[in-house]
Amino acid sequence: MTKEPASDSSGRTAWTADHPGLPTGAVDEAVRLLREAQETRTPCAPLRERLLPVGDVATAYAVQRAMTEQAVAAGRRIVGAKIGLTNPAVQRQLGVDQPDFGVLFADMAAFDGAEVDVTRILQPKVEAEVAFVLGRDLPYEQVTVADVMRATDHLLPAIEIVGSRIANWDISIVDTVADNASSAMFVLGDRPVALADVDLRLCGMVLEHEGEPVSVGAGAACLGHPLHAVAWLAQTMAAAGTPLRAGDVILSGALGPMVPVTPGAAYEARISGLGSVRTRFSGLAG
Amino acid sequence: MTVTELAALLDDAAVNATAIPQLTLANELDVDGAYAVQEALIARRLDRGQRLVGIKMGLTSRAKMAQVGVHEVIWGRLTDAMAVPDGGQLSLDGFIHPRIEPEIAFLLGENGIAAAAPALEIIDSRYADFQFTHPDVVADNTSGAAFVVGPWQPVPAGVDNLGVLLEVDGKVVQAGSTAAILGDPRRALTEGRALTARYGLALEPGWIFLAGAATAAVPLTPGAHVRAVVEGLGTASLKAAA
Repeated sequence: MTKEPASDSSGRTAWTADHPGLPTGAVDEAVRLLREAQETRTPCAPLRERLLPVGDVATAYAVQRAMTEQAVAAGRRIVGAKIGLTNPAVQRQLGVDQPDFGVLFADMAAFDGAEVDVTRILQPKVEAEVAFVLGRDLPYEQVTVADVMRATDHLLPAIEIVGSRIANWDISIVDTVADNASSAMFVLGDRPVALADVDLRLCGMVLEHEGEPVSVGAGAACLGHPLHAVAWLAQTMAAAGTPLRAGDVILSGALGPMVPVTPGAAYEARISGLGSVRTRFSGLAG
Repeated sequence: MTVTELAALLDDAAVNATAIPQLTLANELDVDGAYAVQEALIARRLDRGQRLVGIKMGLTSRAKMAQVGVHEVIWGRLTDAMAVPDGGQLSLDGFIHPRIEPEIAFLLGENGIAAAAPALEIIDSRYADFQFTHPDVVADNTSGAAFVVGPWQPVPAGVDNLGVLLEVDGKVVQAGSTAAILGDPRRALTEGRALTARYGLALEPGWIFLAGAATAAVPLTPGAHVRAVVEGLGTASLKAAA
């Protein structure tokens, strides 16, 4: 599945690494099904077994990579990455011992407080996270938290709106990895905060719907500390030949359980020391 | 059975660390009746020389309501015999199937909250399999068994979203926020004042108020070192005897 490197408007290339031996036909078919699910707004059956070998994460990333290449070729701009599966309980559910990642594109960002078209997202759920905005590249395959601290320009509270192109969220690790880590949109807060000013391990998080807490947690719920998640991502991306760059936005992982979105509802996430961020969804009629 | 008899059943179950069937299986018991049983149960302990030192709230979070299947805030009484010193050792011999959860504690003053502290609560339903109805758990002093209060601190400007971790042997096993406690633990105090007043109990200055769990409870096992960490308030810990 060697392809011409595609690059976005900032000259960044998508993953183009050749993986000899991968079932190319299956990858192409998985890409087609995921695209079709999004375009027709109709979730598809799980990809595992029928297309992607169970537990074959490398092939699942090949699907994600192929979709990213197509997106970049179509003019979408990569602005960062999201980290998923940062909660040990969720990892156990999916039978993995590592997080996963997906790509963030500029057109996935919604403004703080702005209305999101709920029909644009398949099976939407929301979760609250810490977003890191990098001020320096992180090109190392061996990364320390000190490297991440030095590279972090500022933090923002964030709401990630996840979605799944797989029917009923019936996902295994290969399903979610192929599906860009079940990403859909994200909302960043508007007030940058310095890393030194927040206790990212102990910070409380509450996600409220009409003043009622619907998800609560703390920084440590994200892989023990959100910095650890970003360090994992940095070395994983560097090893893949697509290191994190200055300006990248990193959604570091949920601080509490994700919550299914109610059409017409508004959600506010508050993270202690980081401030708040909000999103609201159009009703069923759009 | 009478209120006195039901209270004796529960008291004996706790003293002997032996689970009993739910009271509601064989008795007509509503929530008001259950609070009368709780009062009689605690009266037996006060007769044995124990002292009332505060109250505790229960089922103040969605996680907890879902865990036990009861969907209303409840309250129970704290006596001095239930207190474990911060960092102290606790023998589990006197418990049936203890669980532990991180909380925030308030020290009640003449006017409102005088101080706040991280806390641990050990709950231990006297009912078989930790299963109960709403009246059952109320009669059983809302599963209250023991508690640890860490060092008192000045009340932070906001206590509505303090991160809370529960650590067992140095590993974070639960992460939550005080927001889980009715959105703000101060609301739990408002509720507590109203609910206790309904049953003729007025909260007193100097009492401890356990606002409710910030995360789900986990089993407390022999040898475990358990610590609650509350953002801005510090820690409270205990060691379960091996």
